[in-house]
Amino acid sequence: MAVQDTADDLELHRRLAAGDRAAFDELYRRYAAQAYGLAYRVTGQQMLAQDVVHDAFMALWRAPEAFDERRGSFRTFFLSMVHHRGVDQVRREQRLRARTEKAANLDPLEDEDPADAVAEAGYLSVRRKEVREALTDLPAAQRQVLEMAYFDGKTQVQIAKELQIPLGTVKTRTLAAMRKLRALLEEAS
Amino acid sequence: MIDHEGTDELLAGYVLGSLSGPDAEEADRLLTEHVPGCLTCRATLDAFQGVTGELGLMADPLAPPDTLLPRMERELEGGRRRRSQQWGPARIVAGAAAAVVLVGVVGLSLLNDGANGPSELLTKADLAQVNQLKTETDTEVTPLGPTGTEAEEVSVPSRDELYVMGTFVASPGFIYRLYAVKDGVATYIGDVGPATGVVAFHVEVDPASVDKLLLRQEPAASPPSELVSPSLEAVG
Repeated sequence: MAVQDTADDLELHRRLAAGDRAAFDELYRRYAAQAYGLAYRVTGQQMLAQDVVHDAFMALWRAPEAFDERRGSFRTFFLSMVHHRGVDQVRREQRLRARTEKAANLDPLEDEDPADAVAEAGYLSVRRKEVREALTDLPAAQRQVLEMAYFDGKTQVQIAKELQIPLGTVKTRTLAAMRKLRALLEEAS
Repeated sequence: MIDHEGTDELLAGYVLGSLSGPDAEEADRLLTEHVPGCLTCRATLDAFQGVTGELGLMADPLAPPDTLLPRMERELEGGRRRRSQQWGPARIVAGAAAAVVLVGVVGLSLLNDGANGPSELLTKADLAQVNQLKTETDTEVTPLGPTGTEAEEVSVPSRDELYVMGTFVASPGFIYRLYAVKDGVATYIGDVGPATGVVAFHVEVDPASVDKLLLRQEPAASPPSELVSPSLEAVG
């Protein structure tokens, strides 16, 4: 199933690169909910999350050659791009004003129906479970710095200050976490 | 000799978007000078970017607002028109709105030798025209780098004309990006290439709003830097 979906993604991307709007719509149907969920998790604000997803899809349409299938799957490419843009949004917000504790005060959501989204993206659920298990297998200290960087958009300097540990320790733990996750995810797939 | 342990630390922080200050600048330098030519680092970068993509699945999917797709569809119509006016696979991506406001960039158009380009807008005459400009006395030709592109900035101050020409085949997974530099701040204009053969770009800018242009090779999967230090000239 996952292999077929990956092949379908590649075909959709090739069609999109040729200017096929239907392919764009299908990729949107496949990944908009996951992208929006990720962007919302990172930015904590619906408007910012919308902008992130909007910008990511528009960038995909305008510069489809940015995806190179030799370097990984379309899904990881696209979600990585969404994350990057989400973090950029967070940084802009940080420059404008001190942020409140995002995790504790997420913007209340309106009208969304997560159950529908999950149903649409059902084929991703197996991989989601594998990723969650892999993250759980990380040592707690490594998982902590990874989550602070990835989901809270914090810099390594901010993490070091917050945890009151040396910056070098944050770097070491981050690298160890990324390497272990990479190995666990490769093993799982 | 490069310290790959240290490089891997920077790449891990880079893909997570968690670098700042000197670390961000060092990663920037590595990504333009070393990584494109290092198979080991490119493999590491790809693997780590794959992990950040997989981590995206940790977020619960949420249905986006119903207004989002129609908003994009309206823009797609405009985007498709823009694409059709440009040169197939080597199109220029219009810069962010912030770039337009900040440096007065009003648009880009691409002229090339038409080697692989299907567009009728691109003819050998266009490239010849820029080559001809280079021979005129009031034209300024400035090497733009990075190495391998043989890129040049060709400006004709008396006519407020500005061109970039060169060979823009980036390393796998990388892309060339053009920035406008004003008062020590570089602002993203657009992506360049991949292009076959020598190509020339007509850069439509307000000359008063740009001190010089900056061309950098960057990972294609990452968004362009909103603002970058012009001191980080790409050489890779």
